[in-house]
Amino acid sequence: MRRLLKIAAREYVAYVRTVGFWLSMLALPLGMALVMGASGYMEASAPPPSLVVIDQSQGQRFLPTVAADLTGVRSPGAKPRYTIVPSPVALPDDPALIGPALKPWLAGDSRLDGKRKLSAAYVIHEGDNGVAIDVWTENPLLGATESIRRAMAGQMERDRLVAAGVSPGLLDEARALTPKVTDWSPKTAEKASLINRLPGVIGFGAAMLLWSVIFTGAGILLNGVIEEKSSKVLEVLLSSATVPEILFGKILGVAGVTFTVLGVWGGVGTLLLNIFAPAQAAGIGQVLLSGGLIFYFAFYLICGYLMYASVFTAIGSFCETTREAQTLLGPIMILLTIPVIFLSQALRRPDTPALEVLSWIPPFTPFMMTARAASNPPMWQVIGTGVIMLATVALVMWIAGRAFRAGALSTGKVDFKGLIAKLRGGE
Amino acid sequence: MDAALTLDRVTKRYGAFTAVDDLSFSARKGRILGFLGPNGAGKTSTLRMVLGLSPPTSGTLNVLGAPDGRNVRDRIGFLPEERGLYRRMTPVEAIVFLAGLKGVPAPEARRRARVMLEAQGLGEAQNRQIRQLSKGMAQKVQLIASIAHEPELVILDEPFSGLDPVNQQTLETMIRGLAERGATVVFSTHVMQHAERLCDHVILLARGRKAFDGTVAEAKARAPRALVLEGALEAVTAAALPGVASVSDHRLDNGQWRQTCRLKDGASGQEALKEAFAQGLDIQRFELREPTLHDAFIVLTGEAPDAPAEEASV
Repeated sequence: MRRLLKIAAREYVAYVRTVGFWLSMLALPLGMALVMGASGYMEASAPPPSLVVIDQSQGQRFLPTVAADLTGVRSPGAKPRYTIVPSPVALPDDPALIGPALKPWLAGDSRLDGKRKLSAAYVIHEGDNGVAIDVWTENPLLGATESIRRAMAGQMERDRLVAAGVSPGLLDEARALTPKVTDWSPKTAEKASLINRLPGVIGFGAAMLLWSVIFTGAGILLNGVIEEKSSKVLEVLLSSATVPEILFGKILGVAGVTFTVLGVWGGVGTLLLNIFAPAQAAGIGQVLLSGGLIFYFAFYLICGYLMYASVFTAIGSFCETTREAQTLLGPIMILLTIPVIFLSQALRRPDTPALEVLSWIPPFTPFMMTARAASNPPMWQVIGTGVIMLATVALVMWIAGRAFRAGALSTGKVDFKGLIAKLRGGE
Repeated sequence: MDAALTLDRVTKRYGAFTAVDDLSFSARKGRILGFLGPNGAGKTSTLRMVLGLSPPTSGTLNVLGAPDGRNVRDRIGFLPEERGLYRRMTPVEAIVFLAGLKGVPAPEARRRARVMLEAQGLGEAQNRQIRQLSKGMAQKVQLIASIAHEPELVILDEPFSGLDPVNQQTLETMIRGLAERGATVVFSTHVMQHAERLCDHVILLARGRKAFDGTVAEAKARAPRALVLEGALEAVTAAALPGVASVSDHRLDNGQWRQTCRLKDGASGQEALKEAFAQGLDIQRFELREPTLHDAFIVLTGEAPDAPAEEASV
């Protein structure tokens, strides 16, 4: 135990002393601040797209509705989404010729007043089968088309109903009608609150946290062992400590590094949440502490980390370069991408059969059972998958120990066939 | 018990390859044992078995009273053939860490590290990162790290490889110092000169088998003396001289010949030399050469100690 702790402490200090550790620590908060700042700046600094709207309908009856919808603001202080500008050139009456007439502005060869580009031109006209909209733009994802279509459809529906004798006031009243939606909690038979919805979100968050802990922690371990192998330190360690002491000392040390980073992020996040959203912060705390959910998450976090960290460490012991490691890591990386695919599904439907099946497959158990926390999986499934998980972790750690010893003393490149042979022989 | 280390009929196989074959020997306490042989002779495999890093296929070991080094690792110091330390650590940190694994408290390990580094002329380098040190300096640091816990048994695998002559001399002094302190030193090498200068006892290993076990003097006595004659004489003439068993000739740059005459057991070389002069042979230079450990190795194993041998990937 003394040696294990010394190896763990060395591992921890070695990483904490690097610039990379502090960069990692600051990367997420800085990155988030940068993304939020950049997106806010872009929102604030970019002018709304300029549109030309030509309404050739009888009496230009759609223009007021369309203009109100496109230039209206959705929240106080917000900028309008679009600007409607007059055509920069006299346009022909034929709708089919309007686009070609505006081509230089739509293509960006000519600019509107203020050097602004014309983003799109909408021509509303009476077609053979009713009212039509011709859209001229080089940016089909602009989003204004759907707004115009909805605004015009509403106007057409209103005109038709008024023509049929429905009073405009009644129409406005009818449109104002909307059902009141109330979420109920089946557990408490009371109105669902934030706390009722939080377990699903927290389960998803915990599963993603586990995934990122494994990905970063195991990556650090892998690179650390490769460095020790290439610099021939492993053999010295093997003569000074047992394989489990070295293996778990390293795993513990890197876990310390990873959880230090996560702890700092979590601490800062909790602090900010308590300041800006104290109700949500209290809700999260209440959910984590109720029903031992925090211990449930901790169990799968520890099992998952131990299982994957052991495998990565053992693989690292066979490799002197990351390129060598990539060959052996391929199948593990594929395994690690599968949970990510299913985790988003777990957020919406944590009780789907596919997630239940995956919960029984040990490489996926920690992720799936964590994400399913919200759906309260049956106790027999929790116990069953937990027992299988523990047995698998023990088996993986035993094999990893043999592999680590064989790898640390091996020379030359190792392929999968060689790896299996060495595992069988134990050296 | 007088032996710090005993191997009894130890064999090590990697698949079909036999790295060590039926090897038995003992290392007496407080002595320097040279474990000699060419690359691939089985030296590293043997040392790994002693340390418990690799189990023997058959046979038994006794390491400081234990079946292998794992149960007495705090009493063993080990310098592996392929050296390595944490490059970003300072020498003091590396020594404190490795000595700490052997049970030395950090303050004491730090004190010993500073004293030993100063003694080896590394006082100024003790707080620089190891990656900033020369190879020779780093090797000294690693040796200090392997003995800072004052082990009873010190195992050094090819300790002289990669060192310049000055550092080799320093290392020899350090090894003598260990033995004077009472430690048993076992070191492997394929360079016979080091063993000749340092060892009380040598084991010669060839193709995994023991070829000789005894003192350096005993090993050298197994090799014949040689009379070297240079001049305008031919091999057949030299071979006819009294006491000469065989001759190997070599053409010199000046057109003359060097005849290396291997002497028969018990022959002093005086008779051959006297006869050569009596016959009026053209001899420009002569030398009566005592056998070296290198010569003894060739005689005892049938191969040169620096010859490459078949190696197993282990």
